[in-house]
Amino acid sequence: MADPRTHRLRLWSSALVVGVVLLAVLLVPPLVQLDEQAVDLSRKLLPPSWAHPFGTDDLGRDLLLRCVYGLRISLLVGLVAALVATVVGTAVGAAAGALGGWTDRTLMRLVDAFSSVPHLLLGIFVVALFQPGVWPVIASVAVTHWLSTARIVRSEVLSLRTRPFVDAAVSGGASRWRVAVRHLLPAVLPQAGLAAVLMVPHAMWHESALSFLGLGLPSHQASLGNLVQTARSSLLAGDWWPTLFPGLLLIVPTLAIAGLAGAWRDRLNPRRRSELML
Amino acid sequence: MNAPNASGQRLLRALDAVTAERAEDAVLSVRDLTVRFRLRGGRTVAAVTGADFDLAAGECLALVGESGCGKSVLASALLGLLPGNAETSGTALTDGIDLLAADEKTLARTVRGRRVGLVPQSPAAHLTPVRTVRSQLEETVRALTATGRRARRKAAEDAAERAAFPAGHLDRYPHELSGGLAQRAATALALIGGARLLLADEPTTGLDRDLVDRTADELRRHADDGRALLLITHDLAAAERIADRVAVMYAGRIVEIAPAHRFFGPTGPRHPYARGLLNALPEREFTPIPGMPPELSALPEGCAFAPRCPLATELCATRPAFTAGLACHHPERPRA
Amino acid sequence: MLELDTVTAGYDRRAPVFRGASLTVAPGESVGLLGPSGCGKSTLARVAALLHRPDAGRLVLDGAEVRAWRHRAPRELRTAVGVVFQQPRTAADPRLALADLIAEPLRATGRRAEAADRVAELAPAVGLTADLLTRRPHEVSDGQLQRACLARALTLRPRWLICDEMTAMLDASTTAALVAAVETYRETTGAGLLAVGHDRVLLHRWCDRTVEWKECLPAEENP
Repeated sequence: MADPRTHRLRLWSSALVVGVVLLAVLLVPPLVQLDEQAVDLSRKLLPPSWAHPFGTDDLGRDLLLRCVYGLRISLLVGLVAALVATVVGTAVGAAAGALGGWTDRTLMRLVDAFSSVPHLLLGIFVVALFQPGVWPVIASVAVTHWLSTARIVRSEVLSLRTRPFVDAAVSGGASRWRVAVRHLLPAVLPQAGLAAVLMVPHAMWHESALSFLGLGLPSHQASLGNLVQTARSSLLAGDWWPTLFPGLLLIVPTLAIAGLAGAWRDRLNPRRRSELML
Repeated sequence: MNAPNASGQRLLRALDAVTAERAEDAVLSVRDLTVRFRLRGGRTVAAVTGADFDLAAGECLALVGESGCGKSVLASALLGLLPGNAETSGTALTDGIDLLAADEKTLARTVRGRRVGLVPQSPAAHLTPVRTVRSQLEETVRALTATGRRARRKAAEDAAERAAFPAGHLDRYPHELSGGLAQRAATALALIGGARLLLADEPTTGLDRDLVDRTADELRRHADDGRALLLITHDLAAAERIADRVAVMYAGRIVEIAPAHRFFGPTGPRHPYARGLLNALPEREFTPIPGMPPELSALPEGCAFAPRCPLATELCATRPAFTAGLACHHPERPRA
Repeated sequence: MLELDTVTAGYDRRAPVFRGASLTVAPGESVGLLGPSGCGKSTLARVAALLHRPDAGRLVLDGAEVRAWRHRAPRELRTAVGVVFQQPRTAADPRLALADLIAEPLRATGRRAEAADRVAELAPAVGLTADLLTRRPHEVSDGQLQRACLARALTLRPRWLICDEMTAMLDASTTAALVAAVETYRETTGAGLLAVGHDRVLLHRWCDRTVEWKECLPAEENP
């Protein structure tokens, strides 16, 4: 068991990072009236300095500003995609688990079919159907990410379904719908919520991968994937900052979100007897 | 209030003498054991308060009481298995080691399994499902003693034999065992280290009467072999079957300790709560004690049983001291 | 009349837990079913509560044969049989306060308006105080939770009550209190009782008659 102090440290540092990231992406664009797309070729590829803490890119655009905008888009994509994937996954998983039989078999074969295609390939297929933009990317991430949630929720519902409290509800006259919605679903929501939080960084990475391959957002739009992609050429020339900072902004919030999710999970499973032992 | 009559006083003196004598060769000697839980929001739960008892070799003490009275907490305290928000005070000496003061390392290396063996509540859950009984016994032997392979095998088989676990079933997995055999396998695990103190925490809950009797008899046999047995149970029939003495716990306090033959015999217990508990048995009056036990986080100032007690008076607003095996202002007088 | 007629049931058609069990509970009668653990008497209790579809045999309630089980059973049949299980921890939805637990059957059957009154009526009958009603299952003891589970089984005033090892986990005083609550309910409503358990002394004291598990089975099935 981890030392409670490390535990607290992890929780608070994670919360701090997530807080700073949220404040930055929410407040900087409306408050700082600067154009992140303003090109200034006289200032291209400047290393980090006081004027440009993250340096500038090959078109002389301020990287700090572009990173904040990029993080904003990536987070937006991550959050919305995770939300959509969780809602779809929970609905499918709960329906399969609670209804069972024919419905269960059909839905789970569907999940298997989706899972059998490599995620990136499936994601690329979805974005290829539409014009480049934020929504196709969100759809692409959601399509590939609801599967695991569906599986988690289904197995959770299956194990809950055999508990006597479901028998008791049935015996008390509850309809199948009421058992599913009032007794089974609330019991799996914390698990599904946890899966959703952990999915946010996952979705951000998926977006970055698509953008890095040039299939995600239009390249003028600052997203973390696009930033790393455009920085690739300058990295070979020895300019490290255009790659490093977007990369860090992908990794650090990922760790922070995972840290928060971990703390949440610890609270979800308090050994019930541990406090009182009654 | 009547002064105890002459025979009563003689009995008390005899009891005191017995207790004093026991303190000498006690395997476990508990003094003023207190456990508090601090909860969020500043609430404090007084799970165990001022428990005092001795347990001699070859003796079985049954700790009985309603669910939530603190008896399981007491057992966990003796094993050093309380959660982090628990605070303990008092002493629990066994073999020169204070179980309450010992650090985790001492407990792990010299106490659990070696001095104190635990017979668990649900043996099936106590055994690892994916390994045979033999491999679990041998693993315990290896953890407790540094012996070679052959000696380990022998020690495991000996422990199984002592627990009456048939040798032919040693290579089975827990799910292939009946409830009774799983209980014996768990007991064998508790016996390996040669612990002189056995702690049985609700070993008979949910078992059939026949199996209860068999399990209890087997535990009794280990006491007869010279071990001290602390049986924690709400099953009064099991306690009656094997206990030498009975300690009754109510709202975190031991309210009466009495020899089992007196407690279950025609004389009966002296504390009104203990009487009520016995009278609730279907083979007796089958009438419940009115009301419910108080919250351990909001105990009354005085006697905790007073609100449910048929004999309570104003006197009960002050807490009765625990003397001569009893904590009550209005004890029932032993029937002639 | 609650009649179980040559019921065969289990969780695998090829290997049923028991075959051909028969048992009858008349209105107002209390029947104790005695048997060792693992013999299938809990499964029989679930069949009688319309919670488990038997592989063969009939369940007849007041002359009407039950043809659908669980959710598919008509609500008035399902709710005519109340059931209390052995382990209150797993039988109570962990998110519901005890008052909501007891009121749940009324809410589930669209009689929300009666809930508060019925809870106020039942809580003292099973010995629960107002303070306990606001707590959730993990904040009360096993005994207190089982009291709430008994109250829940009585909420819809069932004509039969099935108690499957209701008191196996409980101490003597709580056992006596719960049995007294069941008997009070039966006296006022004339409900029938099937108490399933392994405690001979308890069931003999509690019930009008007791049936050994093997008496339910056809002679050739007896071990």
